[in-house]
Amino acid sequence: MLKVSFRRAEPDPGLPVVRPVAAVPAGFEVLAAARNFRAQAGQVLEPAAAPRHVFVGTGAWTRRDCETAGAAVVAHLADAPHLQLDARGIAPERACMIAAGAALRAWRFDLHRTRDVRPGPSRLTVLTEDPAAAKDAWEGVVAPVRGCLFARDLVAEPANHLTTKSFVKRLEGLAEHGIHVDVLGRKRLARAGFGALLAVGAGGSTPPLLAVLRWRGSIAAPPVAFVGKGIVFDTGGLSIKPAQGMAAMRADMAGAAACAGAMLSLALRRSPAPAVAVLAIAENATDARSYRPSDVLRTLSGRTVEVVDTDAEGRLVLTDALHYAVDRFRPRAVVDLATLTGAIVSALGHHRAGLFGNDAALTAALAAAGEAVGEALWPMPIGESHRADLASDIADIRQCVPSARGEGGWATRFIPDACHAAAFLREFVGEGVPWAHCDIAGVDTQDAPHPLGPAGPTGFGVRLLDALVAAQFEEEDHHVSP
Amino acid sequence: MPDIAFVKPALPRGGALVLCMTEGDPPAGLAREAEDASGGLLSRALEAAGFKGRKGHATTLYGLGPWTRVVAVGLGKAAELSAEAAEAAGGAIAPAVAQEREATVAAEALDPALAAQLGFGAVLRAWRFDRYRTKEKEEDKPKLERLAIATGNAAASKSAFAPLRAVADGVFLARELVSEPPNVLHPVEFAERCKGLERLGVEVEVMGPKELKRLGFGAMLGVAQGSAHEARMVVMQWKGAPRGKKQKPLALIGKGVTFDTGGISIKPAGGMEDMKWDMAGAGAVVGAMAALAGRKAKADVVGLVGLVENMPSGTAQRPGDVVKTASGQTVEVINTDAEGRLVLADVMWYCQDRFDPRGMVDLATLTGAIIIALGHEHAGLFSNDETLAQQVIAAGAAVGEKCWRMPLADAYDKQIKSDIADMKNVGGRPGGSITAAQFLQRFTNGKPWAHLDIAGTAWSSKDAATVPKGATAFGVRLLDRLVAETMEEG
Repeated sequence: MLKVSFRRAEPDPGLPVVRPVAAVPAGFEVLAAARNFRAQAGQVLEPAAAPRHVFVGTGAWTRRDCETAGAAVVAHLADAPHLQLDARGIAPERACMIAAGAALRAWRFDLHRTRDVRPGPSRLTVLTEDPAAAKDAWEGVVAPVRGCLFARDLVAEPANHLTTKSFVKRLEGLAEHGIHVDVLGRKRLARAGFGALLAVGAGGSTPPLLAVLRWRGSIAAPPVAFVGKGIVFDTGGLSIKPAQGMAAMRADMAGAAACAGAMLSLALRRSPAPAVAVLAIAENATDARSYRPSDVLRTLSGRTVEVVDTDAEGRLVLTDALHYAVDRFRPRAVVDLATLTGAIVSALGHHRAGLFGNDAALTAALAAAGEAVGEALWPMPIGESHRADLASDIADIRQCVPSARGEGGWATRFIPDACHAAAFLREFVGEGVPWAHCDIAGVDTQDAPHPLGPAGPTGFGVRLLDALVAAQFEEEDHHVSP
Repeated sequence: MPDIAFVKPALPRGGALVLCMTEGDPPAGLAREAEDASGGLLSRALEAAGFKGRKGHATTLYGLGPWTRVVAVGLGKAAELSAEAAEAAGGAIAPAVAQEREATVAAEALDPALAAQLGFGAVLRAWRFDRYRTKEKEEDKPKLERLAIATGNAAASKSAFAPLRAVADGVFLARELVSEPPNVLHPVEFAERCKGLERLGVEVEVMGPKELKRLGFGAMLGVAQGSAHEARMVVMQWKGAPRGKKQKPLALIGKGVTFDTGGISIKPAGGMEDMKWDMAGAGAVVGAMAALAGRKAKADVVGLVGLVENMPSGTAQRPGDVVKTASGQTVEVINTDAEGRLVLADVMWYCQDRFDPRGMVDLATLTGAIIIALGHEHAGLFSNDETLAQQVIAAGAAVGEKCWRMPLADAYDKQIKSDIADMKNVGGRPGGSITAAQFLQRFTNGKPWAHLDIAGTAWSSKDAATVPKGATAFGVRLLDRLVAETMEEG
């Protein structure tokens, strides 16, 4: 991660200097006009080279604007190892948010490169009149950044390195930050009846596991629960995926990684809110022991599920994790994150995640948190017919609806699978618990550099959940649903 | 189609009797009289049948009193009576008495307006499209000629029913257009049928390829060029605003691809027959114009439909072609099966240029992606105008044609950048309905606009309360309500 330090000093003339501005700086009007620089968030103006001295627009100084500005600077000065942020005269909180954006954009994953590693920004010195105040502010601001980068590192790891076992090993490392980590192995899962998780993970080269992360917080309230899908690799199982694009399935644990990252963030900034993350971790492999289409599974809730397509495994492992989270922790609210469906990509593309839920106040709070941190969501429906479509001939519910490929009409080619999946999950949450489901299949990874990061894993969800908790769950009497 | 009459409450001496009952309440009014006439059998039979009066539920009893059949229909809870409940009851009645020539409906539980709404529900459900059946057995044909609805104030119900009947006629027109097979309903024939609205006082202009070429409709004509049938654009104007209260018109725009093979980017065979309803947007617009004119709406509304057939042939448009739209913007055609937006681009631009409307609402069976996104309960709503979007959502909710808002954003717009032209006509799989809407937005000229992607709601595979399976005419009632709520106030 970008090393950020705070100093009270004049800029070092030997290093690039970045000056954040909310308006065109005096004396540079002509150049600004020529370059179409209006000091909008993330716009960069570089008047002269050597030493590099650039202005970056901060728009309205919102969190998003500041982070965008910081990130833009790193993208612009991509070959400079050491940058200076001239934040003199700028509130320390704002300077920190700019630094946060820079740290997010400067993240890279070079673990598996052995030679010719390209240098990039690795140090940022923030010049400020009050380094102590800035350092204090940084503690709070850097926590979700660290959480996000923790998640990105996990998502970036290929599945031969990130097995179910090594995934939980890395989660166990969070204990050093005060997070209690409990891992349920095959035996405990079998004894408790995690029929869905065990079936999905049956064919994997490493066993299915349930990781339970707990942050105690300091207020007397039930925890907020995060539930994450953690499929370390998804071949599709017997309903095997086409070869093209399968490599991306190493990221099918991005929901679990985001939940873990959010827990790290809460712990790093000593959030008063009690929180728990329940992560269903498995490998969906094609194997003689793999579960089959048409299998009937008994889930932890006791409900039976007919398997239609073994590639719709995420919703299966989530049923057990959701039931466990609700049943064991009686949480104030449950939010699950999952790279769940291709349908959500068809619906919303790569710029928004799908947001489903059973509680208007919770979904509204999540949507607002998403806008604030630049992890945008869009509300999606769970209609009566979505649930009705899941009626099974043999079990309590079927897991998804098979495509009829045009038989019975043109429309049968198109299945609202994201809505079906949400309708399915809702059944396992039960009544009385505010629940939201974020289908992040379109946003967990970006093919091109995006405002707050390079191409690759985004860590989507960490900063979202962190902002949700900060806004909704850090007071005892503030319940999201009145 | 049965005639609907409103009559004073009196038990009929024979024929079919329909009793509208509220949930959890004992029989009242005519139902009470029927109960007495049956010697108390009615209540017991209903109990045995498990009838509770739930909204839209119906139970048929035979051998009671002098009646050929007695149908009990649920209205739901008395405290929750609504237009929707009354329509659902009417919708349940229609099939239950289809084999009778006449039926009397005891509807005293409903106020005059709701009694009218019940009649509305009944006719909406009773509609069928049997033009091409030549061998149907007599006993399979529906026979209902008259539905007499007994209500406290028959005159008030009758006058409340008149405008609803006009709306029903608009719905029927749309359903008929959508149901017609594509060898019958090609663009020329469709335009001909639009001319029929002149009877209702609608001004109808029909434009063919020559005029469209003169107007610069390069995108729409590109779609049509593979077909043996000429393209048509029909402009329908209803000038119903009172004198001295002239208003900017509301514009309704419909995609009318009378058959969509996909063109050179041809569709798979399975399910292609459904592509006869790729003109359902245009059907809804024509139906809405008929509804508004039929009930003499006090508003100025224009309806425009772009009518083409999308065929593969030696003269068909190719993937890679660049066409020039009426707006002057150029489009690289990547996929000839994304033809609806090409048609709408020209019609929308022409519409805003000629009429300077207060708002434009387009309806189109535009993308399969909207079904993947939402399924079949909601149409996708895209809009550049918050007020108009909320009005459309409210109008749809009021009439049971639900819409779900979907996003628009520059980030999606970037997906339709072209290397050779101002834009391309598809933006890839991710967010496919959104990029289609972004495409359309480029032809609004910034005017208030709402786009309804009705690919998932135009056709139904099963019967609903007031909509038999098949063509739903989705949009007719929504548009009629939108005009009533936003333009006819005061």
